[in-house]
Amino acid sequence: MPEPTNAANGAAISAEDLRFSYGDHEAVKGISFDIAPGEIFGFLGPNGAGKTTTIKMLTGQLRPKAGVVRILGRNVGRDDAEAQARIGVCFEEKNLYDAMSGTENLRFFASLYGVDGVDTDALLERVGLADRAGDRVGSYSKGMRQRLMVARSILHQPMVLFLDEPTDGLDPVSSKAIRGLIREEAERGAAVLLTTHDMWEADELSHRVAFINEGQIYAIDTPENLKLQHGQRSVKVRRREESGVAEESYALDDPAVGEQLRAAVQSEGLMTIHTEESTLENIFVEMTGRTLEA
Amino acid sequence: MTISRRAAIVRAIVVKDLREFSRDRLWMVLTPLMLVFYVGILWLLPNTVDESIKVGVYARGLTGSFAEAFDSDAVSADAALEVVPFESPEALETAVVEGGEVEIDGQKHAVDIGISFPDELAASLAAGESATVTIYVDASVPAEVQTAMDAFVREATYAMAGVDLPVTQPEQELIVVGEDRVGAQITPQDRLTPLIAVMVLLVESMALAGLVAVEIQSRTAKAVVASPASVGDLLSAKGLTGTILAFTQAGLVLLLVGAFGHEPLLLLLALLIGSVMTAGFGMLAGSAGRDFMTTIFISMVFIIPMAVPAISALFPGAASAWVQVLPTYGFIETIVGVTAYGEGWADSAGYLLMSTVGCVIIFAAGWFILRRRVETL
Repeated sequence: MPEPTNAANGAAISAEDLRFSYGDHEAVKGISFDIAPGEIFGFLGPNGAGKTTTIKMLTGQLRPKAGVVRILGRNVGRDDAEAQARIGVCFEEKNLYDAMSGTENLRFFASLYGVDGVDTDALLERVGLADRAGDRVGSYSKGMRQRLMVARSILHQPMVLFLDEPTDGLDPVSSKAIRGLIREEAERGAAVLLTTHDMWEADELSHRVAFINEGQIYAIDTPENLKLQHGQRSVKVRRREESGVAEESYALDDPAVGEQLRAAVQSEGLMTIHTEESTLENIFVEMTGRTLEA
Repeated sequence: MTISRRAAIVRAIVVKDLREFSRDRLWMVLTPLMLVFYVGILWLLPNTVDESIKVGVYARGLTGSFAEAFDSDAVSADAALEVVPFESPEALETAVVEGGEVEIDGQKHAVDIGISFPDELAASLAAGESATVTIYVDASVPAEVQTAMDAFVREATYAMAGVDLPVTQPEQELIVVGEDRVGAQITPQDRLTPLIAVMVLLVESMALAGLVAVEIQSRTAKAVVASPASVGDLLSAKGLTGTILAFTQAGLVLLLVGAFGHEPLLLLLALLIGSVMTAGFGMLAGSAGRDFMTTIFISMVFIIPMAVPAISALFPGAASAWVQVLPTYGFIETIVGVTAYGEGWADSAGYLLMSTVGCVIIFAAGWFILRRRVETL
């Protein structure tokens, strides 16, 4: 995994004190963050946390009530078309033209972006849709549509990518392929804002993650740091006993852990010893009091 | 962003819309079917008007000037009233009641009305006795013509009896209220042409409404406006697509029925205004439609009242005030004026202005509602 660049210098995506309200309901309450070129930024939160509203402001679909959005140094509110030409968006909903083929969908969006000569065959090959390129999208499965959505979002080689649940509905093989593609885009230099419910995926892909809940960001850091700061490191030991399989957990921060582990290793019936670290999901619940599925 | 880049984006969306339209099986079946149906209906309707009424007369009992008046040679064949002399009252009755053609002097005649003056009429009148004049009338003859015939016979017999009518008539001046259409009646084909034109346009508004509704419901509009295409580009493209669809088909129908013989540019301009207006209707209906059925239903809510001025044009006389304020009224009156009465630019200027105002209002309403809908996706 490549090291993230310093977000403070030349941020590709910059949000400063963004606020938005739907009537009396304040959906986003002054959030700020920067995403550097080449960085994959996991944006994690339950439904209704303010993720979609934030993304809409970042992509110019909504004008913030307050705050500033800069994409590659441009103010989105002022130079929408110029900024949007350098943005790729993969929406959560599969908004594709069903009556058109995969190739036609890609060519249409390429014409909107003003990109000539896009090799749609190569792009469809990258997302595993080469053999269905000429078929109408209406006949695609949910997973195929999702892969086409990802292909559409990167066809113009954007320097900023917004990916909303990009592996939703995909089988493990396809998910792995899409994760590889996201990494390639980041390695190319694109800043990637990734929202996902899959904490393992966020942990696997993201250089940094932000926890958002009720319109506020609770934490922004690398997954490793969050786990170090908020999780409990422990070792789980499983032993076979006469009454069955026994499990014991030893906190690594406990001064007596050395003795405890030595005793466990020397004990009869030892089956497995695993180190354990807290998951992003557990940390999120610990910090916000809500689960990500809520 | 440059204008040429904006134009390229709008063009790309229009091409995409037309491609989607061409792949919609419903419209691909319905569109040619409607064209054939409309053109067929218009071709089947007569494009001439027979304004004359043939009156069969048995008048052997008449004398003097009245006898001369009923001599068929004295009546022009172009006159509204054509007199056919009969040799016997039985033949006259048979001709009117049975509705068949009667051969007189080598010519075949079908008469709508028969007047049989009795042989002894002159003698009876001279003797001061009453006589019976029989009038045979076909059921298809309008009631007012029947009344006129009755009055005519009474007046003729008064005159033959040497009795003056108890009124004096000044030298007559014919005053026609409204436009004098004597000799310039509209043919059934011309009457129906505006209705067909407006129906083609309004039905095409449903096609656009369907395209808009799909774009909204599938949220592809959201993907489009997240690209360099602005909401304005998307709306411009929708308006253009609707206008192209409506204008092409309405123009084709009018071309096939030969309506472009007089003032083709004026007719094309009227069609263009009507097409832009129907694009506005399509945007309105498409914004509100949630699925195919609701889109069709909402479209019908617009189509039915907007077709009223065209239905009104089927019947002679001035349209009601409420019909005249409908946005399609000016457009339809322009079509009627050009195709039926051979009017030109000067005659149609007022109606063109009316239809332009209606077009701007409807298109602006469609633009505003659709813009709101796209922005809140």
